[in-house]
Amino acid sequence: MIAARDLLLSLFLVLVSSGSGLAADVKAKAEVSCSATARPLEYDCSIKLSDQRSGEALTGVDVTVGADMPSMPMAHNVKPAKAMPGNEPGTYRAHIKLEMYGDWAVKVDLVGPVRDRIVKSMRFEPRP
Amino acid sequence: MDDHLIGILSNIGVISFVALSAYLLLLTGEISFGQQAFFAIGAYTAGIVTAMWQLPFWLGLGAGAAVGGAAALFVGLPTLRLHGLQFAIATLAFAEAVRILFELFRYQVVRDGEPVGPNGIEGFRSIRYIFENDVSATQFMLIIYGLLGATLFGFFLLERSRLGVAFRMIGEDDLLAATQGVPVIRVKLMAACLAGAIAGLGGGLYAHLTTYVEPAIFDVMLGVHSLAYGLIGGLGTAFGPLLGVVIDIGLLESTRWFAGYRMIVFGGLVAVLLIVRPRGLLDERLVHRIRRVVGRRAPPKPANATVLRKELS
Repeated sequence: MIAARDLLLSLFLVLVSSGSGLAADVKAKAEVSCSATARPLEYDCSIKLSDQRSGEALTGVDVTVGADMPSMPMAHNVKPAKAMPGNEPGTYRAHIKLEMYGDWAVKVDLVGPVRDRIVKSMRFEPRP
Repeated sequence: MDDHLIGILSNIGVISFVALSAYLLLLTGEISFGQQAFFAIGAYTAGIVTAMWQLPFWLGLGAGAAVGGAAALFVGLPTLRLHGLQFAIATLAFAEAVRILFELFRYQVVRDGEPVGPNGIEGFRSIRYIFENDVSATQFMLIIYGLLGATLFGFFLLERSRLGVAFRMIGEDDLLAATQGVPVIRVKLMAACLAGAIAGLGGGLYAHLTTYVEPAIFDVMLGVHSLAYGLIGGLGTAFGPLLGVVIDIGLLESTRWFAGYRMIVFGGLVAVLLIVRPRGLLDERLVHRIRRVVGRRAPPKPANATVLRKELS
């Protein structure tokens, strides 16, 4: 009964609030780079987050990094890894483990004061 | 609820739409490898409506479903006279043509100083409706399941209607159905339209769930999967394809028992099931048996018989 009520309420809120000017103030921008580790298919990624409008570094957000293989949507994806804050403001580090080499869409999810998702297409290859 | 679990459940819900779309055509006896094209059309259409034109979300979903249905009608008119392998190849060719067209499709507007919209092979990013309108992941999952529930209810009504019976008659033997007065081509076109609209609706939800789409997502792999879900789960009921999705994404994906070998396991599972249960786990026979057991009336109370004996003596 409660689930049914929540469902109807969610549908109502989304349909009513659409286009009502509740736009978030902050739009995140991310620079992502990943480097292969000694272990095959494991990568260390560094993320630099900023507000696209003001250019200020985004701090104090919970960042998780996941990845989907676009050619096999939902068939191959990476369990999101929590990113740890780096030394400089707005920088984060995460360790991801892929299932295979190739083209991946890396998803950076932000939760907390800023809620957003940035998707970057990246090619992952074995360590030279 | 854990964010990862919400993500998996949302994925199961969204992919169920394209699985139901393929299932609807399977009911009429046609194998389509092209339902991912309508999923793509729905995704791009809904994204354009909300992210570029700034129109309401429900309008985006409606437009995705409508354009998906219209595209299915456009494809169905020349192809539904084909049968079996010819139809399957035609749908595959159409889907690949659509994917390549999206690789060439460029249409962008500037928002917040940044171009937004389909950009060829790079895809369509920043479909940020859920973030701009503060819709939580749980709320969006509930929307997905609300619409999936409504679609399943539609199937429930369809299977009890004359149209649903006509779908299955054509699926069994279209020549025999035609001799019984069923307008085969018209009914098949209706099935194709409905299937396209369902896939388009799922595509609209997918675009807003992931916030980005690109042509590579909609390749033949998605079409094969959507078809396989019905064949694994069963063709006896609309819950069959859903069971297929739950087995693939829910069980194999979430547990990660097989890691990178999952597709091999999935392929093997499809092959084994096609041999052992050609019409899937929930096939017509099992569904009929379940309905008989569930719908069986309780036997008369023994107390009535006792009273009758007393009266006789």
